Amino acid sequence: MLKIDNLHATIADKPILKGLDLSVNAGEIHAIMGPNGAGKSTLGYVLGGRAGYEVTEGAVTFDGKDLLDMGADERAAAGLFLGFQYPVEIPGVSNVQFLRTALNAQRRARGDEEMSAGDFLRLSRAQADALGMSMDMMKRPVNVGFSGGEKKRNEMVQMGILDPKLAILDETDSGLDIDALRVVGDGINRIMRKPDKAVLLITHYQRLLEIVEPDFVHVLAAGRIVRSGGAELALELEREGYGAIAA
Amino acid sequence: MSLLELPSNREERWRWSDLSALPEIAARAPSGQMPERLPWLDCATPGPRLLFVDGRLVADASEPGDVALGTVEAPVGEDALGRLVGSEGWTLRLGSGHAPLGLVQVIHVSTGAADHLPARIELDVDAQASIVETFLGDGWTNRLTRITLFKGARLMLSRRILTASGYVSLSDRVAVGEGASFVLTTLAGGGADTRFDGEVHLAGNAGFAEVGGALLARGRQRHDANLVIRHEQPNGQSRQVWRSVADDQATCSVAARVEVARGAQKTDGEQSLKGLLLSRTATINAKPELEIFADDVKCAHGATVGELNRDALFYLASRGIAPAEAKALLTASFVADAIERIGEEDVRTAFLDDANAWLAHGGAQS
Repeated sequence: MLKIDNLHATIADKPILKGLDLSVNAGEIHAIMGPNGAGKSTLGYVLGGRAGYEVTEGAVTFDGKDLLDMGADERAAAGLFLGFQYPVEIPGVSNVQFLRTALNAQRRARGDEEMSAGDFLRLSRAQADALGMSMDMMKRPVNVGFSGGEKKRNEMVQMGILDPKLAILDETDSGLDIDALRVVGDGINRIMRKPDKAVLLITHYQRLLEIVEPDFVHVLAAGRIVRSGGAELALELEREGYGAIAA
Repeated sequence: MSLLELPSNREERWRWSDLSALPEIAARAPSGQMPERLPWLDCATPGPRLLFVDGRLVADASEPGDVALGTVEAPVGEDALGRLVGSEGWTLRLGSGHAPLGLVQVIHVSTGAADHLPARIELDVDAQASIVETFLGDGWTNRLTRITLFKGARLMLSRRILTASGYVSLSDRVAVGEGASFVLTTLAGGGADTRFDGEVHLAGNAGFAEVGGALLARGRQRHDANLVIRHEQPNGQSRQVWRSVADDQATCSVAARVEVARGAQKTDGEQSLKGLLLSRTATINAKPELEIFADDVKCAHGATVGELNRDALFYLASRGIAPAEAKALLTASFVADAIERIGEEDVRTAFLDDANAWLAHGGAQS
């Protein structure tokens, strides 16, 4: 589904990713772990198509198409979802309006019919309920006045509504207490653990991986994947630290 | 119209305005070309309707009801453009205890030339009115409105300028009595240049005035609002909330002033002038001014000018919203701040739709 080949990327001419290779197939959950500054968030932004992140070498294909050639909105329409480490507040635009605009923009881009207001409301209510978010919060401006945990929950509600093929979740576990971690983790499993979907979980910690069990764990250090393994690699990292493994 | 004398922009109050097109418009003859449709609002409580084309009432398209037509009490003379309006216009005078009128709608159509019209609004003790004025067509539309609100009276005046090209100049002289409330919301969402001159006197104890709106400009358009709110008595409240959006080489300017007289204690004044630049070649001028001669007052003023938030644009894009739509959505939310203050839902919705139509037009062009 996602194939990253020798990816090099810079921010303001500073090299961050230095030859990253990764292949993700449908039905798989991959965890990317690594120390601060390794390039984890950069990888998320480069795949999401954020301006200011320049790819200097390498290729990325998504379902066989050149991902890097697509705008951020086109990537979303193609089925890619980027869960933000710091979800953005948008005063004056309600969650419901934002999501309906987004969903219908994706549907139009795919040549599908727009979803009716009634169907959309039913869908958003179901997804909000599943993540313990009230419809009252859905009507409030996007992320404005939300706690850190509520913002992450809102990311998962969005993912549930947009129903992507591939989710790249950047530190979705940060800022969550234990109960919220459980709710978010269960959400990821419910929405994304399907044979035709895949997840790239970017995380620092083992905690989330106890709920969302990865099929593969990769260690990212200094802009490259230095080690890959199964779920047991995360435990090893937790025990021994990045220093020993990334060296 | 060789007698047309216009202020020069060497005068401070006029430095951001460009009146150079007016003599040429004033020399033209009206074309009589009417817009395809007149945007009367369908509203829950319909009231009087007035249609003015080139400053003249079209009687068979109007239902004046309580609005009188004819000679308007002599307008004040010192206003540079307002003094041109002449004496024949419309007057709304509501007595104390008058039954609610319903929404008063006035449509002004200009068909290529200059037209001038005075108006007078006088609400007696506890009377209430809500008025929507819509400006259409092209040409130079020049208006002077004098408003007097007696004790406890309430006026909600909402104006949308949808004039396609030319110039719209609106001057207001307002006196707000004890406990009376004046709310003026303006949307400049057409293609014409505009100039607003407002002078509001809070002449009674605990008067309330809110004067604000949204100025949307693109191309080489110029919008220029000049407002003064004078607190003359204690316990008054005033709000000036303006949102300016400028694209291309356009300019939006807002000079908003609050004056607090010596005895006007417990005055509460607020100014929020915010500008959004949609292109690096556009200009926004914001000039909040406070002049305070009382010692127990609360006056807050803020002026900011910025661009659309890049993080927000990427966030919207990452959810599948294309750049033009994302830009329009964020701009609409910026503008909504100033328009959402309109009390009646029908009016508010119409104004928000007009603002969105302006934004969508830009999206299609870019």
